[in-house]
Order: sequence, then structure tokens, then C-alpha cells
Amino acid sequence: MITEDRETFSDTVEEEHPVEACTKCTACNTVCPVARSTEIFRGPKFLGPESERYRDQHETTVTAGLDLCSGCKLCEVTCPSQVSIQEYIRRAQNKGAREKGRTLRDWLLGHTRLLSRFGSLTAPLANFGNRNPLFRLLMERVVGIHRRRPLPKYQWLTFESWFKRHRTPHPDPPPQGGREIRRTVAYFYGCWVDFNERQLGQQVVAVLERNGIEVIVPRQQCCGIPAVVNSNTDLARKYGVENVRRLSTLPEGVDIIASSTSCGLMLKHDYAHLLEIPGAEQVGSRVYDVCEYLWMLHEAGELDVDFQPVDTRVLYHAPCHLKSHGIGYPAMRLLRLIPGVRVEEVDEGCCGISGTYGVKVEKYDLSMKIGTRLFEAVKAAGSDSVLADCETCRMQVEHGAGSRSAHPIDILARAYGYR
Amino acid sequence: MRFDIAVVGSGLSALIATRTLQRAGRKPVLIWPGLSSLYFLYATVDVLGYANPTTAEVVEEPISGVRQLIADHPEHPYARAGLPALQNGSSLLLDWLREAGFNWQGTLDRNLLLPTATGTPKPSCLVPTSMAAGDLHRNEPIVFCGFDGYQDFVPELAAANLSNGWNGGSRNVGAVRVPLPGVKPDRLFTSIDIARSMEDATFRRAVAERLRHAVKDDRARLGLPAVLGLTHDTDVHLEFEKETGHPVFEIPTVPPSVLGLRLFDRLRRHLQETGVEMIWAAPAHEAEVANGRCLRIHLKSAGREQPVEAKAYILALEDAVDGAWRAGAHTVRDPFFHQVLAQHATPGERTDESLFAAQPFAAIGYPVTDRLQPTDRDGRTLAANVFVAGGGIAGYDPTGIKARGGMAIATGYRAAQEAMAA
Repeated sequence: MITEDRETFSDTVEEEHPVEACTKCTACNTVCPVARSTEIFRGPKFLGPESERYRDQHETTVTAGLDLCSGCKLCEVTCPSQVSIQEYIRRAQNKGAREKGRTLRDWLLGHTRLLSRFGSLTAPLANFGNRNPLFRLLMERVVGIHRRRPLPKYQWLTFESWFKRHRTPHPDPPPQGGREIRRTVAYFYGCWVDFNERQLGQQVVAVLERNGIEVIVPRQQCCGIPAVVNSNTDLARKYGVENVRRLSTLPEGVDIIASSTSCGLMLKHDYAHLLEIPGAEQVGSRVYDVCEYLWMLHEAGELDVDFQPVDTRVLYHAPCHLKSHGIGYPAMRLLRLIPGVRVEEVDEGCCGISGTYGVKVEKYDLSMKIGTRLFEAVKAAGSDSVLADCETCRMQVEHGAGSRSAHPIDILARAYGYR
Repeated sequence: MRFDIAVVGSGLSALIATRTLQRAGRKPVLIWPGLSSLYFLYATVDVLGYANPTTAEVVEEPISGVRQLIADHPEHPYARAGLPALQNGSSLLLDWLREAGFNWQGTLDRNLLLPTATGTPKPSCLVPTSMAAGDLHRNEPIVFCGFDGYQDFVPELAAANLSNGWNGGSRNVGAVRVPLPGVKPDRLFTSIDIARSMEDATFRRAVAERLRHAVKDDRARLGLPAVLGLTHDTDVHLEFEKETGHPVFEIPTVPPSVLGLRLFDRLRRHLQETGVEMIWAAPAHEAEVANGRCLRIHLKSAGREQPVEAKAYILALEDAVDGAWRAGAHTVRDPFFHQVLAQHATPGERTDESLFAAQPFAAIGYPVTDRLQPTDRDGRTLAANVFVAGGGIAGYDPTGIKARGGMAIATGYRAAQEAMAA
């Protein structure tokens, strides 16, 4: 029972102190993938709401254990009282980092866009270094990036530069003799598509344009999630303010599409709630995950379902942050529309990488342990590849299970005849 | 989003309703706001333990007990759901558990009598096989086993209480305690932590070895807090019996419930693996009604509200604990139709000071029709294609009569049947 109506119910404190909505039921601790895998982690209940009751803005923050939280948000997904457990952990972590300073490694990982731009500019060299055992050993010792963690390959040609040269087709008449469609979407492609997997962005654009949708690409900054999970909500807020300012100027009726689960969640929810950015709610209400959007088109009868058969057996891994979207699994629904695609869900929980968490020298083993159940299930299933909407989940599955992986859009693009 | 039938909730009634729809070839979606009572309360499926909560006289045959209860109380949720719903729902659950690789046993014809963590005999109907050896209809001596540093189970207390009440105090009941290998005594740990460790064969064998030495009576069955594994519990239980050389039974502990967690995880995963979509982290509210039918409900998803359209809706709101109702100082409202479900002069009227008395708040819910449709206070149906199961029904209070599980199954099954016909 949730108690509201505060004026007339004087012993209700939940509205003024939302932390009091926590009933200490421990559901969050039981699902926490980190707590499941190491006994040194006290779990979200203790580090979130329980510690929050004792935190004082005027005193130094106790940060012990906070960095072990991977930020998967399964605690919030699970909480029957909808307590924002993560927000307590992240704010405390940021305050602690302000007081005590950040390591070079966490500073760098928080500045993903900067790091990626550098990697992209020096792509052949950076990729060589990232695969060179000696360099990786050095990187582990000096920076604290685990030497066995495969790092993403950088591409010299960014998505942004590709898109500048891309000529948006204006089909007239509309494709497949379908109804006239007048939609424009702004694509929030994120750092991953920009510097590491331009092809995914190209597929997203192709799939949307195939459906008569004009794609525009507004200038954008990193969504800020790498900063959030690296004790730097201050930096994330800076990025968020910039993105909200730019996205707010989009003309009315232009929806915003994200192909990265976590970028999308930042725009939809965390800007307004964790980072308390003015105007973020309005922007967030216009943001769609790309598969969510395509499914919406399908329900409106606007999706071109003239798919070529794709003969493949794939597993679908639902990223933790997708669960936080509260939209179900639109990718699974879309894939089931395509003839020849046999898709099964592999429901083994968190993959363990959690963005930059699993690249850190002290977290790598833990990250692999968290993912063990998923890796074993993937290996046992023997499918063609694992589909996941989140890029770091894909990295982790490839590394841990030796499987191929792709974004669900890849199959959709193939069904439309794009390679 | 459009679906065939939308089930809202995460407790046993929601799972049963979803499974019933799935078995009938329908395409349900399961929408849940977070974990519910399965994590806190469920260990067994109790159908009817006491016909009268005050006298607490044990019901021997739950099915006959429910038949009598229906005859005596035509407004009771069991009566609304009907006896066939309980029977069919129970077989559906047992078949489902078997298919999902979970060992359960029991029939509606007979209650088992199982010791609780405080050593009280409690009637239960359908139970995990790992609990069955605790049945107090059997005569072998019992040794309760606890672990140093684990605070949620006190074997001496269970033994003292049981030896007072069981078979006139004539039976042999004992208690032992052993340290857990590798656990630092200053660390606070829960049943879940031990259950996870028990899946490690080395850890498990070390515990079994210690118990084998500590328990002197070769004929004794061992009563352990429910910690024998989380995902591979069937194997853990079997191996542990072999390793200790005794029959072993599990006893439910305070939340989080290892037994409830196993049940929920197994069934949820089975649904998902067999193609049922789940929408996580999406509290549902706001039913839009036109011409007596619900057109859509709304989900509080990230960023914005998501409308969900379905042919029928099942509100399987499990319990007061899952945040189903909105309570002000004097009124309790529902979030779908904004009906006033209860009015009180002071909030204090919602609770009874005695913890073990029937709690008025537990009975708060929708008045329902014979088809489990919610109605307003004057008995007018709020929406013909909405059905209520579980704790959402007014007067649904399984605690005193020990019917938690049975009532969820019966109402979940019936609501699904009605939803298909809607």
C-alpha cells in the first residue's frame, strides 16, 4: 500500500523522504548480480536506502563498497516499492569522489567520448595497441584496464562524418506503394555507433528510411552514462544539460530514437530524475528505443513487413537497462515477424560487463563470474549468434561465450535486403 | 502496445493466470511492478489449514474444508472462484512445476503437518519435495540444525517448542548447531547467501560432514532452514541427504524466502522461455473505460506512460505489500478506476494492534461479481473485460485460515477462464 495525501496524513513521511518507501524487504539484494557473485559486496539495500538514512550533506561520505555497484539497475527493476536505489548510490559516490578525488582511470572512462575520439583519430595505432600484449600489460599497470578484456575496435570514419555525406532519400511515391508517411526522427546514435560500430548506425538509418521516415542527426554529446558509473554525475550532468539544450530545439513532432539501450535510458529517465536537469522530462517523453519505435509503427500499420526470409537461429539476451525502460522486449516481437528467424530468449540475467565496469583490473574477474550462467547457456544453445540491444552486453557475450553477436536491427536490415 | 490479454502482477495468482492463458493457446503479456509476495511469504501452497482461525483446529482434508467454506460463506473469494478452479488450477500448477523441472508433491485430499522455524506444526497442502520429510504425521525423531552466526533460525527454540506440542511431548526432538566453513562470524548473512554457497559441492560436503558428526541419532531426520540451493536445489537436496546419511527437510525462514524465490524464478523463467513476454519495471494504473469496457491501461515506463491495449485484463494484485492501493488519511483508493475501496475515521482503524489478529487492511480490495469483475460499492461492474485475482479481491485474507497459495491459484485460474471468454 502506498501512502499519499500528505497534508491529511501527518505520520506519512514517504513523500518528503522517498527513502522511507523502502520496506527493507531485501528483494533487491536477492537479485543483485554483484551480491550474487561476491560476498564482499553488501548489496543495494545497504548501500542505497539503508545508508542513505545516515548520510549527511555536511559530513564526509563513506564510500566503502559503493564502487562495487555495477549500475545495472536490476535492484530498481525488482523493488516492489519503486525506490530509486541507484540514485542514492550514484549521488553518494559522486559526493565521495568530489571529496576524495577520482583515479585517472575512472576519469578517463568517464570521458568516453574524448577517449573514443582519440581512438578513432589514431584508429590503426589505437587498435594495434589494444591488441598488443605488451601495451596491454603496461595499460593494466599504469591505468588499471584489465589486460584480458578485449577493447572495442575504433573506426577512423565516424558515423557523424558518414551521415554528413549520406543523401537522405525522399521517396516519391512512398516505398512499396504504401500509405504516405510523414515522420521525421532525430537519431541519438551515441559514442559507440559514432566511433566503433558505424555500420549499426547505417543499418538504423536504412531501416528507418525504408519505412519512409526522414532521419536527421542533431549535434550531440556523450549521454553521460559512463560518467555516472565512474563516480562523476557532475560531468554527466554537464553532458546532459548540453544534450537537453540541443534536443529541446528539435521541431515539434520529431521523435528521438536511440539504438543504445543505456543512452536511451539516460535520455528518457536519468536526466530528469538522477541528474535533475531542467527540461529533461519533455525531452525524455519524446525518446524511443529504435525497436520500440519500429514496433509502434507496426501497430499503427506503418511498418513495411515485406521481409525477405532470414534463415537463422538466434538467442536474444535482454540487457538489464532494457528492463528499466518498462517496454517489454520489442526486439523479440519484431524478429518474430521475419520469416525464417527462430529466436529464443536466453534468460540468464546480467552479462556482467555493465559498461566500463568489467574493463577495470579489479572488476574483470568478478564481471566474468557474473556472466558465467549466461556464457554457459549461450555455449549450450549452439545458435548462430546472440542478439542484444546493448553494445557492451554484445562485447561481453563475444568474449565470455566465444559467440557472435549483433544488435537486433542487424537481422531486420538483412530482412530488408541490406548487408 | 497491443496484446491479447494483459496480466498485471507478479505473485502466484498472476503466474497461474498467465500459465492458464498460455496453455489455452492465448498470448498473454505479464506486466509486473516489481517482486511481490512470493519473495516474502511463499514457501508452500496452503489451501486451507484452519477452517476457523480462532480455534486453529487443523483441517485434515483441504478439499472438503474448502467445499464447506464455500457453502458457509458464498461471498468468500474461494466461493467466487469456485471449487473446480481450485482443482484445475492445482493440477495445472503441479504439471507446470514438473515441466519446469521442480519437484513438488501433495494432493488436495490431505494436509501435511510441517514444523515452522519456531517449532509450531503448520498444515500445508502442496509443498516442495525438500520439505516433505518434515511431516509430523511421521514418527521418526527430528533434529533441528542451525548454523553459527546465522540469526534467522534458532534450532534450540524450534526443538523446545515442538517437543512441547508434538504428539504429547513424547517424541524425540533435538537441536544442533555447526559452524559454516569459511564464514567469518562477524559477517551478517542471510539464507540466500547460504543457499548460494550450498550449490558449491565442496562447501556442501563440508557442512554435511559437520552435521554427520554432530547428530548422534542415526534414525533422526534433519530439519534445516531452507538453504539447500537456489537454482539446483533438487540436486542439492538429494546429495545432501546422501552426504549426511539422514532424511533432510527444509523449513521456511523469514524473508527473503529461499523457497519463494525458487518458485518465482523457476516459473517466471519457464514462461519466458516458452515465449511469454514480460514487461518489467512498469507499474500499471489508469484504466480507460468506455461503454462498460476497458480500452487500455497505462504503464509508468521510463520517460512516459505506455498505453497497453488488450482484449481483456487480469488485475492479479497479490497483496497489500505490492503497493497496489493508494492510501490517504481516510480513504483507500485503487489506481485503475479511482474507486474508494475503504474509508476510515483514522488510519489506525486499518490495523489491529495484535500482530496475529486479522488485519483489516488485508481485506481491502475490489468488490467483485461472480465472474471476478471489479464493481463499485453499489455492485455495478466497472469494466466487463477486467477480472481480479488474488489480493485485489475484497475480503481476500488467506493468513488466518492458512490458504495462501490455494486462494491465489483458484482466483488466478478462474480469472483467466473468464478473461478468455470476455
